[in-house]
Amino acid sequence: MMDSGFDRRDFLKVMGWSGAAVALSGCGNTSIEDGKETVVSYVEAADFVIPGIGVYYNSSCAQCDAGCSINGKVREGRVLKLEGNPASGINNGKMCGLGQAGVQHHYNPDRVREPLLRNGNQGEAISWEKAYALIAEKLDGVSGEEIAFLSGGVSGHLKVLLGNYLSSFGCKNHFVYEALSPGVVRAANKKAYGVEMPRYNINKAKVVLSFGADFLGAWVSPVHFSQQYAQFRNGADGQRGVLIQVEPKMTLTGANADRWVPIRPGTEGILALGIINALGTATGDIAAAVKNYDKVRVSKETGVPPGQIDKIAAILKLRSPSLVLAGGAAEGYAHGSQNAAAINLLNHVLGNVGKTIVAPVTVPFPQMAPAKGNTAALKSLNDGLAAGNFKVLFNYAANPVYTAPGAMKFKDNMAKAEFKVAFTHYLDETALQADLVLPLDSALEDWGTQVPEYMTEGAQINILQPLMENLHPNTRGMGEILLALIKQRRPEEYKNYEDYYAYLRAALVQNKNAFGGHSMDDDTFWNETLTKGIIKLAGTTTALNGGTNVSSLKLPTPAEQDEQFPLQLIPSVNISLRDGRNSNQPWLQESPDPLTTIVWDSWMEIHPKKAAELGIVEGDIVEVTSRVGSIKTQAYLFPGIHPDAISIPIGQGHEAMGRYAKGYGVNPFKIIDTVFDRETGELAMHETRVKVSKTGQRVIIVKDESAAGAKQVREKIAGRVSTDNVDLSKEV
Amino acid sequence: MHRFLRISVLLTGLFAAVSVYAAESLQTTQMTEDSLGPLVEQPIEFPHNRHAGDAGKGGMEINCMYCHTYARRSAVAGIPPLQKCIGCHQGIESVREAPRIKKLFEYWDAKKAVPWKKVHDLPDFVRFNHERHIKRFVEQQNRPFQEVCGYCHGDVKEMTVARRSKALSMGWCASCHQKDHAVVAEGGTQIGSQAYWYTFYKPEATDGSTDVLKAKGPNDCWQCHK
Repeated sequence: MMDSGFDRRDFLKVMGWSGAAVALSGCGNTSIEDGKETVVSYVEAADFVIPGIGVYYNSSCAQCDAGCSINGKVREGRVLKLEGNPASGINNGKMCGLGQAGVQHHYNPDRVREPLLRNGNQGEAISWEKAYALIAEKLDGVSGEEIAFLSGGVSGHLKVLLGNYLSSFGCKNHFVYEALSPGVVRAANKKAYGVEMPRYNINKAKVVLSFGADFLGAWVSPVHFSQQYAQFRNGADGQRGVLIQVEPKMTLTGANADRWVPIRPGTEGILALGIINALGTATGDIAAAVKNYDKVRVSKETGVPPGQIDKIAAILKLRSPSLVLAGGAAEGYAHGSQNAAAINLLNHVLGNVGKTIVAPVTVPFPQMAPAKGNTAALKSLNDGLAAGNFKVLFNYAANPVYTAPGAMKFKDNMAKAEFKVAFTHYLDETALQADLVLPLDSALEDWGTQVPEYMTEGAQINILQPLMENLHPNTRGMGEILLALIKQRRPEEYKNYEDYYAYLRAALVQNKNAFGGHSMDDDTFWNETLTKGIIKLAGTTTALNGGTNVSSLKLPTPAEQDEQFPLQLIPSVNISLRDGRNSNQPWLQESPDPLTTIVWDSWMEIHPKKAAELGIVEGDIVEVTSRVGSIKTQAYLFPGIHPDAISIPIGQGHEAMGRYAKGYGVNPFKIIDTVFDRETGELAMHETRVKVSKTGQRVIIVKDESAAGAKQVREKIAGRVSTDNVDLSKEV
Repeated sequence: MHRFLRISVLLTGLFAAVSVYAAESLQTTQMTEDSLGPLVEQPIEFPHNRHAGDAGKGGMEINCMYCHTYARRSAVAGIPPLQKCIGCHQGIESVREAPRIKKLFEYWDAKKAVPWKKVHDLPDFVRFNHERHIKRFVEQQNRPFQEVCGYCHGDVKEMTVARRSKALSMGWCASCHQKDHAVVAEGGTQIGSQAYWYTFYKPEATDGSTDVLKAKGPNDCWQCHK
């Protein structure tokens, strides 16, 4: 390491002596520094503002799309700490680590602070007036079809305003793209239950059988599900709920399960049908559809032992209601829709629909409902860009240059648009390709409304309000920008709204009767709303009306062993970094991955048996090659993965974005094959096959668990029985 | 041999650096009971004597708490908002054209805070709680504010801009806490769970109680060093 001959012991000795010397000389001295620091008072202070005493405001979290409500402590005009808002039905006063890191998004040193206009390879700071004028100029003479607006999930009044802005020049090309959306499951749910996102009552289930839905970690609304899970474990009638997790790569939920069942990647649907067969309660079409899925065949195709299938079927029969979930690991295949359909069918057969899967409540303002998206939208945008159909491209809350599969060549295609505008917080990969970069307020500085996709018992609209003044004077809220832009097109219609705050207030106050404010005057209603941070309303319930049509259910038999690319790549979702939008928050980089405890880097999980076969030990730098490309990362031996699969987490490997994101780890999106689900067109994230080769280099993995180089399987903490020999009914 | 040479050079260097630092900091440290801090130049030379001084000496006898209102409500005293100054001074025509007041209104018109310099600046690892001391002396013992504030801040009503007149060192704090300041609040500290250091009073069990005793001030490092 160091070749100076100055070893660790000597170093410690010197440090010890110098420490003692400082202590001796410092004794008895105080360091009162009168007259050096400035103490700044308020110019005008509200009565409730007392230095040293916190003031609390309710707002909403924008770190992911779950829509938790937050309560922020503000002292001396600075937001210090976020907690959950107890009034919210979604998070009930709780909050996850990702949400806690929201302050690091707000105070991030890498936020863009001025509007930037491309000048060669440089961004030149310009004024907002100039930026708005430039957009007007570039849109002049361009038809609506030649303009594309790409965004992440948007909801609430922002969505309404965005829709109005786009329609003001006849643009219908609003592409909504969420890199990690449960797009396939939504479509399968629509078919099976009649709604895209029903309400799951995990707390009322006695058995939860989850096919790769990491509902405790990163799936849909994890804070809410974690609370339901706690109730589920306590048991509604004293009977502790049993969790069985079926997935090829162990997630946080899998690690909490009573039974973790590793399955050959992609065969989840086959197992679901096998369980229906083993249950033996299905009749008619369904019975006919599953009659070929006997234990022997299912076991052979999925790699799950026959005894295991029997046990799962037995406990599902024994305890009702149960709940079967289809998650990311089941949907990420070309036949993902079929997998999800087979899993949903299991819910029908078990009679869970209407008990643990119930009708969702929606906000009675469909125009505010969240715009959901998937990779299919990105693909059509990409095709349009490649064909040169779009002259102007707007991008908001998405980072496709980073998250699009490498084979899509989104970066090259994006360059074909003449004028690209990015509304962004950071100079991320996509913003770097833009011609005009407009800096956004952080979620703790901005006004807005959110309508969460996953609602709990009651419908709610979340209010976003600034917890503090703008940290940087030249950032703007997205709503503010859209209002300024729409005023260019329809000045008459919007002239009464001085700013987005005025727009939002007017929009909510004029509908106050619908929001339970009929007995209040406008000011009272508005103040109440801001104080609570949530508008709760009755909402409308969409009845479940899906069917059990099995005629289209066709599950492919697993592919034969691929000699060239023998392993399946599972791009796993890290509970903190998600799709990579949060990677520039050092708390999240520093939070160890729950299962491997690795920090600040990427890794490749590989089963110890497979690793031994390939001669790989922990810390080996390996090259993972797919048909599209290759990446190099450190190997981590992990027993919680199927031997035929390897896993690399998503979220690292940024080439831009900021000092805490850039240059750490690798980005598995770059080597993902562009295979799409046959029904929905959603990217099949798990369909990439790879080969792994050693590069000869080896590193010490930086992680929290045990000494460097030690194996997780080194010690037996509790007595273990192999999964085949466990009597599940005695386990619980 | 090479190794020891290297270490001794390093040690000598470190020692020299530390000595220089120590020598410098020693010069500025004053440990006496009444030791005046440096004269601090403020953006506006605020006359405390004019505002709070005795009527006989041309003062207005304004209570400290009228302006320093946060001290009794919070751990930190803060600085009165500019609004407070203007609230009175916009109605006092007689001094409206005085240079200091003109400067004050310049700040107000620009809606800018006055960049006052801290006069009583404790090190960052010390938390002094104003509220607690005022509660004890003013509310429980009914002593006048000027006297109570003066324990630490000196006779501010005789000053123009404030100047530190007490050492505010830990030993100085202890000099006061050594006196018998029995706290009459309910509770007290469990024997065995307290840490005391320096000359802070060691808590003693009171008559008739087995394990609860009355504190005589902070008997836990954590009270000030959070």
